[in-house]
Amino acid sequence: MFDPEKFVNKAIEDLKEAISGTAVIACSGGVDSTVAAVLVARAIGDRLYGVHVDTGYMRKNESEDVAELLRDMGVNLQVAIAGEEFSEALKGAVEPEAKRKAIGHTFIRIFERYAKEIDAKYLVQGTIAPDWIESGGDLRDVIKSHHNVGALPEDMDMSLVEPLRDLYKDEVRKVGRYLGISIAEKQPFPGPGLAIRIIGEATLEKAEIVREACFIVEDELEKAAEAGKMEIPWQYFAVLTSAKTVGVQGDVRAYGHTVAVRAVQSIDGMTAAYSKVPHEVLEKISIRITNTMPGKINRVVYDITNKPPGTIEWE
Amino acid sequence: MRIFVVDNGGQWTHREWRVLKYLDVDTEIIPNTTPLEELDVDGLILSGGAPRIGEEALMLGNSGDYLDKADFPIMGICVGAQFMALHFGGEAGPAEIPEFGKTTVTIEEENELFKGVTSPFQVWESHNDEVKVLPDSFKNFARSDNCAHQAFAHKEKPFYGVQFHPEVEHTEFGEDIFKNFLDICASWKK
Repeated sequence: MFDPEKFVNKAIEDLKEAISGTAVIACSGGVDSTVAAVLVARAIGDRLYGVHVDTGYMRKNESEDVAELLRDMGVNLQVAIAGEEFSEALKGAVEPEAKRKAIGHTFIRIFERYAKEIDAKYLVQGTIAPDWIESGGDLRDVIKSHHNVGALPEDMDMSLVEPLRDLYKDEVRKVGRYLGISIAEKQPFPGPGLAIRIIGEATLEKAEIVREACFIVEDELEKAAEAGKMEIPWQYFAVLTSAKTVGVQGDVRAYGHTVAVRAVQSIDGMTAAYSKVPHEVLEKISIRITNTMPGKINRVVYDITNKPPGTIEWE
Repeated sequence: MRIFVVDNGGQWTHREWRVLKYLDVDTEIIPNTTPLEELDVDGLILSGGAPRIGEEALMLGNSGDYLDKADFPIMGICVGAQFMALHFGGEAGPAEIPEFGKTTVTIEEENELFKGVTSPFQVWESHNDEVKVLPDSFKNFARSDNCAHQAFAHKEKPFYGVQFHPEVEHTEFGEDIFKNFLDICASWKK
């Protein structure tokens, strides 16, 4: 079995050896990067500097919450507000791989600027096994280029340090619990954020729509789980599809977007089964989304695809 | 016990490594171009992978060499299993109906690899190709609705092939199948 204590001791030893001088850590505020931050801080102390990037494609209140949490944990944190930079990089990008690469490059340019300021030669990332597996290479096919692996620019001039590379999410959570990290159970949220939950070009206006839809899905599913109506899924969110359909709202014709609700059960993200969410909960989500977002969303569908053949996120 | 995982570029190759590690096996993922002479192991897993068995069998590196000369048990998974059948004179190619994700497998005949597994059971699949004709030196012992060769074994040598993926969390009895393979490796060692 996986022994978090053994893992932590060995990782700290390795990190002490691997990093000389200062290092920058990319902190999205998710489980992986937070666990990596605490681990590396244990190894090199205040020589570690965190950067959280508010990409403009974060969930509701996410960047504020993340900054507070990381600072509470003693991470020396800088927040980069970069919505404009990301939306500029994403302009005209429709194909998922093009979007992921644009996002990956933008992240690295921001980290490089910051690293230069503090003369850091190392970039620490919370990369885990599925990130590099799905990013492909040699015999392995590219399923999707993860922003922190397959979407890195070729000319980046920092050395990568990735202490969680061989772990899956369930193991990272075990390390997180062992280190006393409060968000060890938080659901996964991919680095490219809401940009890959918008099919097609990810404008900031569309991000606003999917942000609200994601918030409703999270809120309703968490309430239903708390009330004992269902188990909380492993990951759950909304996708703004590219399909526009006809509806009738207040006796007039509506022509609006379709939101897909996705919820899956998994252990490690490498296989997943769609969650059997009770119909009454799905209905509540559907009604709340369409009633509170009139003129934008007039249809809600539920994704009943497992992984494989699908992936968890749509892009 | 030392069992290595031969990497054929699968999405779940690293999962095979993880399952073995959890079972306290001394394990490593190795490229499929590793010469047999460099392997000091008690068993091998031939992983699944992206290469298509029809046109790209050569991408499976030295897998043929391992099957010709190994004096230890080998378990082929997905394309690893297809390659095994092809190598011993069988046929493999595009499946009429490929299987992705959840599938039900029925055991047709008892086998030491499936000790303790109850039939039918649920497995997770991910294959475009399949074994069409099994070589005479092999016997088949499990099937699904759309794929006749879900599990097979060499009649004399300790070689096993499974089309589904025992290494992923969603496959029932996956860990048991690996434990059975470890038992097979242990008794072969004696």
